[in-house]
Amino acid sequence: MNWPSIVCPHNPSLFRTFTGLTVVVRVPHSAQAAEAAAQLLESGNELLCVIVESGSPFDEIDLPADLQSIPLAVMTPALGKFRHLVRSISRLRDFNLRVYLPAHNPQNIAGLRILSSLGIHTCAVLGNGPKDWEALTDLMTYAVLGRAPHASMEPFVFIASNYDPHAYLEWGSLYFNDPRRFLHVDADGRVALSPAELRQKRFVASSWAKIGTSSLSLTIQQRVQKWRQFFANNHPCASCSGWKICLGKFASEMNKNGGCRAFFLEMSEVCQQYKEQNKPAMKPHIWQL
Amino acid sequence: MAGAVAGTFLSWENMIYVADFLKAAGERHVSLLGGEPTLHPECVDFILYLLERDFEVTVFTNGILSHARLEEFRRHLTEVHPGRLNLVCNLNHPGQTPSTPKETKKILRFLAIMGPWVTLGFNIYRPDFALDFLFDVINRFGLKRHLRLGIAHPIPGQKTGFVRPEDMRQVAERLYAYRPYFDGLRISPGLDCGFPICQFTDEELGWLHRFKSPVIFGCQPALDISPDMSIYHCFPFSQYLRKSLFEFDSLRQVEEHFIQVKKQIKTEIPGIYPECDGCQAQEDGVCSGGGLCQILNRFIWEEPIRISEIEHELAKYRLSP
Repeated sequence: MNWPSIVCPHNPSLFRTFTGLTVVVRVPHSAQAAEAAAQLLESGNELLCVIVESGSPFDEIDLPADLQSIPLAVMTPALGKFRHLVRSISRLRDFNLRVYLPAHNPQNIAGLRILSSLGIHTCAVLGNGPKDWEALTDLMTYAVLGRAPHASMEPFVFIASNYDPHAYLEWGSLYFNDPRRFLHVDADGRVALSPAELRQKRFVASSWAKIGTSSLSLTIQQRVQKWRQFFANNHPCASCSGWKICLGKFASEMNKNGGCRAFFLEMSEVCQQYKEQNKPAMKPHIWQL
Repeated sequence: MAGAVAGTFLSWENMIYVADFLKAAGERHVSLLGGEPTLHPECVDFILYLLERDFEVTVFTNGILSHARLEEFRRHLTEVHPGRLNLVCNLNHPGQTPSTPKETKKILRFLAIMGPWVTLGFNIYRPDFALDFLFDVINRFGLKRHLRLGIAHPIPGQKTGFVRPEDMRQVAERLYAYRPYFDGLRISPGLDCGFPICQFTDEELGWLHRFKSPVIFGCQPALDISPDMSIYHCFPFSQYLRKSLFEFDSLRQVEEHFIQVKKQIKTEIPGIYPECDGCQAQEDGVCSGGGLCQILNRFIWEEPIRISEIEHELAKYRLSP
């Protein structure tokens, strides 16, 4: 069995308590990212990526050249001014970087498109607040079907690439929010199942050493199958045409205006189109040498 | 980019769409027009974005910029190579069409700061135009050594001042009279669309063809895109046969559409002079017989005798009298 990766804060003493694991390190400032990556590797673990959880707009985050080879997930609340960002765009294209922007306002929705069109990989953070689903539909269409060359924009490209009309699709791992793939550990080694539960200090194990135990595996299993509750409770999401992609992630919005329903319905159509476009090339009809 | 109606600004999404659309067609050049494009709150960011997408950018401006906007230009655009960014500033003659002192002050400040990026433009709207002051401005502020000359065209349906076909020869003569200035100061003239070739003598044509930029006596679709993503043949046609850019899959389709529009109009009247019908230069594609807007403008003030497509469009945009 593959154990989930550990997502933990930058803490060298914590790193030294485990070995041979795949780890995601969280740092609050980009200035700590290189050091965090180096210390994690020194501890005998494998680095999946460094998450920079910054409160500053992206144009104010300094990403020095020594971060170029480090896989980075930069989580930032806003793009900032393009005129400031433009100076570093060509340099950032060579980084192993994905920029996470909350897609809850028009500026950020535009920001995601700007970055993607300039070759910077992005991820739209679809939180629980109110969203302009129509604008998100346009963004998703651009991300998946846009013919002009652009960098990937998640979660849309992941969903389109992995879409199967006959199966459920879980894409929480893009946000490190899937306990089958990621477990969140605090500085004391306590384990939570999601980033939100880590923030709320809702731990499921007192030590990372419990990872792999049958009790924690059972807890993870129960969490993964939590969607079943939608059917047990006869929730409108369970009968929604977008269910297979959404799995009730926006249940709170479903009762308001149902904008998510139209979005995910459109998304499934876009996925079909994407599959059609990316079908493996048919064998040529003409004979070939 | 900044529409005539306040608040109608081109969005980032639409701007990126246009950039993608042009890139797909292999275009290397984008022009930003208005209204006044520098009024767009993100004008500087748009310019930088288009440059980052590897376009050469031309911005048409009246040069009347607020202190804050001019400072943005100075801070963020003066590092751009002048070969990649061209600010076309249209000036009026200070005697014939004077600006207010406040406007003049702003224009001079703009030229003083952005000079190396600026090409002067002048719109000829009367046959007795004067260019002297432009040479002085180019030298004084170190502007690009090119003068873009346009003819004031009629906007079909609107009673605006414009150069009439019978005055074109006088315009050509007057322009040639400035040859010593152009040659002496090494400034090249650039003719915008709508000049008919037959109004220039061979000597005048020979002189015009000596410069680096080719002189074209045509009227090709400029393809203006408005903030609401309408697309039309060119500015004078902004109220005639507008289409949405989203109706087209490629720039080639757009061009083909507007070439059809042009053909439709020119089937009715080939040019601005009776001699345009059967003219060798027109058949050879060297001349368009004047501006298409000049031709269309004639339809508007006459009885509805044109082909139904034209009459239908004129009626749709209330362009019939």
